Amino acid sequence: MAINLDPKAPSGDLKDKWSKHKFESKLVNPANKRKFTVIVVGTGLAGGSAAASLAELGYNVLSFCIQDSARRAHSIAAQGGINAAKNYPNDGDSIKRLFYDTIKGGDYRSREANVYRLAEVSSNIIDQMVSQGVPFAREYGGYLDNRSFGGSQVSRTFYARGQTGQQLLLGAYSGMMKMISKGKIKMFNRREMMDLVTINGKARGIIVKNLITGETEKYAADAVLLCTGGYGNVFYLSTNAMTSNASAAWRCYKRGAAFANPCFTQIHPTCIPVHGDYQSKLTLMSESLRNDGRVWVPKKPNDTRKPAEIPDEERDYYLERVYPSFGNLAPRDISSRQAKYRYDEGKGVGPTKQAVYLDFRDAIARDGKEVIAGKYGNLFEMYERITGDDPYKTPMMIYPAVHYTMGGLWVDYNLQSTVPGLHVLGEANFSDHGANRLGASALMQGLADGYFVIPSTLSHYLASTPLEKVTTDAKEFKEAEEAVKLQTSKLLSIKGKRTVDDFHKALGHYMWDYVGMSRNEAGLKKAIDGIRKLREEFWKDVNVPGDAGNFNLELHKAARVADFLELGELMALDALERNESCGGHFREEYQTPDGEAQRDDANFAHAAVWEYTGPNSSPIRHKEELKFEYVQLATRSYK
Amino acid sequence: MVTSAVNHYCKSSIGRKQLVAITGLLLCGFLVGHLSGNFLLLAGPDAFNIYAHKLASLGPMLYLIEAGLAAIFLVHLGLAMKLNMENMKSRGKYQEKNKTGRGTTFASQTMPYTGIILLIFLVLHLCSLKFGSYYETTVDGVLMRDLYRTTIEYFASTAATAWYVVAMFCAAIHTSHGFASAFQSLGLNHGKYFKNVKRLGLIYAILVGGGFAFVSIWCHMKGV
Amino acid sequence: MSSENMTLNLKIWRQKSAASEGKLVDYRVENVSPDMSFLEMIDVLNEQLVRKGEDPIAFDHDCREGICGMCSMMIDGKAHGGYKNTTTCQVHMRLYKNGDTIVIEPFRAQAFPLIKDLAVDRGAIDKVMIAGGYVTANTGNAPDANAMLIPKPIADEAMDAAACIGCGACVASCPNGSGMLFMGAKISQLALLPQGEPESPRRALNMVHTHDGLGFGNCTNHAECEATCPKGISIEHIARMNREYLKAAFTYHEKTRSEGGA
Repeated sequence: MAINLDPKAPSGDLKDKWSKHKFESKLVNPANKRKFTVIVVGTGLAGGSAAASLAELGYNVLSFCIQDSARRAHSIAAQGGINAAKNYPNDGDSIKRLFYDTIKGGDYRSREANVYRLAEVSSNIIDQMVSQGVPFAREYGGYLDNRSFGGSQVSRTFYARGQTGQQLLLGAYSGMMKMISKGKIKMFNRREMMDLVTINGKARGIIVKNLITGETEKYAADAVLLCTGGYGNVFYLSTNAMTSNASAAWRCYKRGAAFANPCFTQIHPTCIPVHGDYQSKLTLMSESLRNDGRVWVPKKPNDTRKPAEIPDEERDYYLERVYPSFGNLAPRDISSRQAKYRYDEGKGVGPTKQAVYLDFRDAIARDGKEVIAGKYGNLFEMYERITGDDPYKTPMMIYPAVHYTMGGLWVDYNLQSTVPGLHVLGEANFSDHGANRLGASALMQGLADGYFVIPSTLSHYLASTPLEKVTTDAKEFKEAEEAVKLQTSKLLSIKGKRTVDDFHKALGHYMWDYVGMSRNEAGLKKAIDGIRKLREEFWKDVNVPGDAGNFNLELHKAARVADFLELGELMALDALERNESCGGHFREEYQTPDGEAQRDDANFAHAAVWEYTGPNSSPIRHKEELKFEYVQLATRSYK
Repeated sequence: MVTSAVNHYCKSSIGRKQLVAITGLLLCGFLVGHLSGNFLLLAGPDAFNIYAHKLASLGPMLYLIEAGLAAIFLVHLGLAMKLNMENMKSRGKYQEKNKTGRGTTFASQTMPYTGIILLIFLVLHLCSLKFGSYYETTVDGVLMRDLYRTTIEYFASTAATAWYVVAMFCAAIHTSHGFASAFQSLGLNHGKYFKNVKRLGLIYAILVGGGFAFVSIWCHMKGV
Repeated sequence: MSSENMTLNLKIWRQKSAASEGKLVDYRVENVSPDMSFLEMIDVLNEQLVRKGEDPIAFDHDCREGICGMCSMMIDGKAHGGYKNTTTCQVHMRLYKNGDTIVIEPFRAQAFPLIKDLAVDRGAIDKVMIAGGYVTANTGNAPDANAMLIPKPIADEAMDAAACIGCGACVASCPNGSGMLFMGAKISQLALLPQGEPESPRRALNMVHTHDGLGFGNCTNHAECEATCPKGISIEHIARMNREYLKAAFTYHEKTRSEGGA
């Protein structure tokens, strides 16, 4: 099957592309909108805002979420803030600068037109969220307040204490609740998408599992929006929520939606270190802490003194030393890698010797405890609850952890995947962040996609595509449902010896050790081989207790881990094929003498787009060449 | 529709609790009036009897006030009981009881019980005093009821006084939660002053409960 | 406070479904590290149960960082264990001692029917929000964000209310099973902000009337919710709701008018 990777980015000057495209997009007249049904899977920032906006336009929306309420999607956990090119602080920001920072931050592996559009609508997002009653932080004069985030030299981040994601998500959720009250959104909670149904090559519905009754359910529609987030949990330990998973996207991949840049994973530098092998997840400490906190390690390897006993001249404030112009606010991929170098040199601290210090001593001395508590009080409390240490008195210990996946299903400028009618929004797609995402940009992208992009591009699809009437009685629905049931009974029939988490942890070790912060050819090959064997073993020896007909959490987990075991291999394969280092993808073979990522623009200035070819054959690697018309490709430097 | 708005209000959770709050505060006001009257007992039989006589001679006006008072009391009682019955149904039934209530207080948890004790007290109180033994006396040439004697005789009994003191203790407990709670129900809670409202509620409860109890004990001493 | 690994005795509510009978079942977990979170301790127990071929304990959880509001559990009779500003997922085992007996029950209230073991259906919270927990502001209408000035103290107070995670601990711990705190927080947040103020009366009426029809109890100002709330939300927000409701009940009036035109 030939796949079409035309990005469909409109021609013309960069800053006119989006308005030109919107004008050229076909519209659906108001009376006809109510004849269309749209499925939205996921209720995070992308899914929630898309569902609300499409319902406002008059489409019938069926919305699905895995939790017990749309308000719990994992966007809620984003702490620090959301970027927008408002230039309120008068510090030289502009749409162009946000565009440029994002392209550069992504190490020149994203599509110019998409990123520009993102920067362009960023201001509208803030306006929209404020109008919905999101209580962003304000100055005494009543104006909105800003802070800085990594990878930029302006203050463009809007925030609501350390709970910006929560407040934005509740804003989008409230929009959904409004449209539910008007009968335009039908909400389905505690449902997990198990498969995509395509009819005549177009996405026409989904199969879901009701997580409480265990029954499969079928839903038909004119288009499907996948807003199911990223796949960081393939690493077992990540900052993702426990139910965050790749299954919905993965099943779409198997139905013909190409997967782009699966190896682009973001490792966030400031997480609370791992305590033991019982650990279920990692907790992020917001990047905003690096506005005031200073990152350091002892200069002497294996220094066992308490941090307070180490004098300043024996401390290595390595981010300030290596990147004097960005200092502690160097981008995430770079900060994580520098932390790794430090503990590779034996200078790591803490019981595992893999942590580094994030110290507020100087900030507290400069601004006073009150001011610091005002900015970060809730984060400090959270840190103390988890670790038992008081960050006002002793530096935090932090450690890099998997946080976000830049890769995802390939989409064109309209956010449509290679399956017509299947649109992918938010973290689930690959579109805007290239090889590394800047802080406070995920919230921006999710909301841009849902509020401002999809209402226009989806209308164009619906207006310009012949869509015959489809019901869930179609044979494609029955076949897909049968396949889901078959997989369920297979999982339940194995009755092996190892638990689902056992397999997931083993997969996580392969991923973290060989497909994590730094990668090399031998390791990646080892991972591919190991994951394959693990997968075979899984299907022979997994132990899933209980039956299909009730609230069986182990069964739900097992189906997700089965998909992770396939995705993990593709990630390693993608990392192996990309013979360069860029952003979060660091291949040890390709680095500058001072340990920075060395890109190969001649051979790899493209998105790697993987096509599924069946269970027993290798996927095909296609390329979407990235054309840079407005940005000069340069070595990314934060020095 | 105005009637339907009022109707909705009187059926809603918040509307009903605000009615309980308003009636409760009115009853609190009544208690202050009653207590000031009681203190006239200390001033001697004549002062007290003249006061009682003045009230009695209001005639139809008195009946109106009494009817109003009864209505306030019945609304307070009826709604509170209805709310409490609903709440018994809606609360979670736990195996493990809250080891320490962190917000709830003894007073807040016992509102229905102290309320019922006060109801029983009220009935007995009316029977034994207002509708109790009837004596006559003449003050300044005017023939009037000698309520003073009825009162002193009644409190001569240690049991009656003890019961009265217990009931007033309940009244103090009941108002120690109810007073501030009524302000909260009516939306009058602000970080700036609510602590003072709570304090005032406590002072009210102690002064009023203690005041009634004090007068009853004084009568007891006088009677024996 | 413990710093060594512990053995704990657990009494956990087991109930197959809403229709079946439930009871407290005794479990013993060994080698519990003080650095474990409470839910990780339950994970360890569940792994043991799965290995023995038994049905693991069903419980709700997701983000495990105290913000999604999915985790619940009454721990020793207290919602989320009763630690200040802490959800169950953020409770760490260093708060317990070797040999402790811990009783774990689901969040119970008439409005929260039980699903299985420790998982309950908190859909009633969404239903209250559907009744009016929003600002009617369609996408694309918004004026510039700084066109509307909001004094910092007001924004901060609105944020205090908006911090609600919808976990339902207020309902579960309320001696009346009332939903006033989470509802009051939303009504108060939107009444404080100029964006939410125009539809404030309608919101108060609709939300309160919906709340009353869902099996929630009535507020009698115990303030147990305030003491329990993992986000420290004050009952001042309930007071503001009471005020809004009172005002709305006697002043708000909506006539149906035809909006036809040429």
